[in-house]
Amino acid sequence: MADKSNDTQAEKKDAPILIQMGIFAAILFVSSLISPWLAAVLPKFPVPTPVIGLIILYLLLTLHIVKLEWVDKFATFMIGFIAFLFVPSGVQLTASLDIMKAQGLQLVTVIIISTVILLVVIAYTTSLFIWIKKNVFHGDVTVHE
Amino acid sequence: MSATQTTIITYLGTPIFGICLSIAVFLLGQWLFKISHGFFLFQPLFVGMVLGIFILWLMAKAFGVDVTWFYTNAYKPGGDLLFWFLNPATIAFAVPLYKRNDIVKRFWLEIILSLVVGLFISLYLIYLIAKLFGIDNTGIASLLPQAATTAIAMPISGAIGGNPAVTAMACILNAVIIYALATFLIKIFRLKEPIGQGLGLGTAGHAVGSAKAIQLGSVPGAMASIAFVLISIVVDLVVPTFANLLGIMH
Repeated sequence: MADKSNDTQAEKKDAPILIQMGIFAAILFVSSLISPWLAAVLPKFPVPTPVIGLIILYLLLTLHIVKLEWVDKFATFMIGFIAFLFVPSGVQLTASLDIMKAQGLQLVTVIIISTVILLVVIAYTTSLFIWIKKNVFHGDVTVHE
Repeated sequence: MSATQTTIITYLGTPIFGICLSIAVFLLGQWLFKISHGFFLFQPLFVGMVLGIFILWLMAKAFGVDVTWFYTNAYKPGGDLLFWFLNPATIAFAVPLYKRNDIVKRFWLEIILSLVVGLFISLYLIYLIAKLFGIDNTGIASLLPQAATTAIAMPISGAIGGNPAVTAMACILNAVIIYALATFLIKIFRLKEPIGQGLGLGTAGHAVGSAKAIQLGSVPGAMASIAFVLISIVVDLVVPTFANLLGIMH
């Protein structure tokens, strides 16, 4: 059923790109107003502006206030070149070369081990919760491709 | 300020130098990745990072100025401009999440529980291993947010007393390692549950992990995109709490 509604939405015409950009800009603007307010209310929990924006857009889509074809094209475009946008984040390590000289090898080793830990621990934890859902609560855990 | 520094600011102080350098190193990375048939160390972002740092270091040496000064005055204006576009790009991940709302609605409880519990266990193990390797509190605070996507991990790292540049490097290396070893790790650790594979790959490997998960099937693929988005929100809530508990945060 969900697939059907997605299909009909895909057939609808995309909104002009400037309108799509406008929606993103408006969400980002509202998020940038909420973010410092949240920082003042909850100083221990940094909530970056784009996280607030992500939640707002997801809610707007789920509540059918914003239609998929109003944002789909611009979103796909932005996700498509996100790897490139991370180049400056990587290059900013130039300003921390002394940290890398002092602890670089240890940091890289721990990062490699951390990656394996994250993959394995999250995968096993999920298997456990799926197992509980299936065997303790007898829930339906079949998923369709 | 020396005459060389004034000249550098005049000619390279505008954003266009940083933008051109970023595009050039990334394109070179894409080309290397293509002609090497996808050799894991030639991932465009990794090549771009290493080459970008190397070129800036070389130029600073050639001009006889401090490397950090050269980075801040020549590269950063353009770098910051490109970096800003990560804001709309991060918001854009609401769209793939919404497209798989059917799975989100059926498994939301299992997904959230797995990510929160799994992250807590992982953070503790990462903390122990970092301690074992003698990494200081700044280093540990930089490593804890690495499960989130770079754009979100960096401000969290800064907020808990870490170095955002080290965090960004961690996120980039995560992707490099997952790209290289995902198939091998899934095999030796016997990760058979498709939902678990997806959540693990999306968490450990970010966007690259999601791409890898799609190769395993549409369920791991969808789960990885969900994990990639949700883990950032979970990290946002869990990591500062965790850093507080361990007294890393100042």
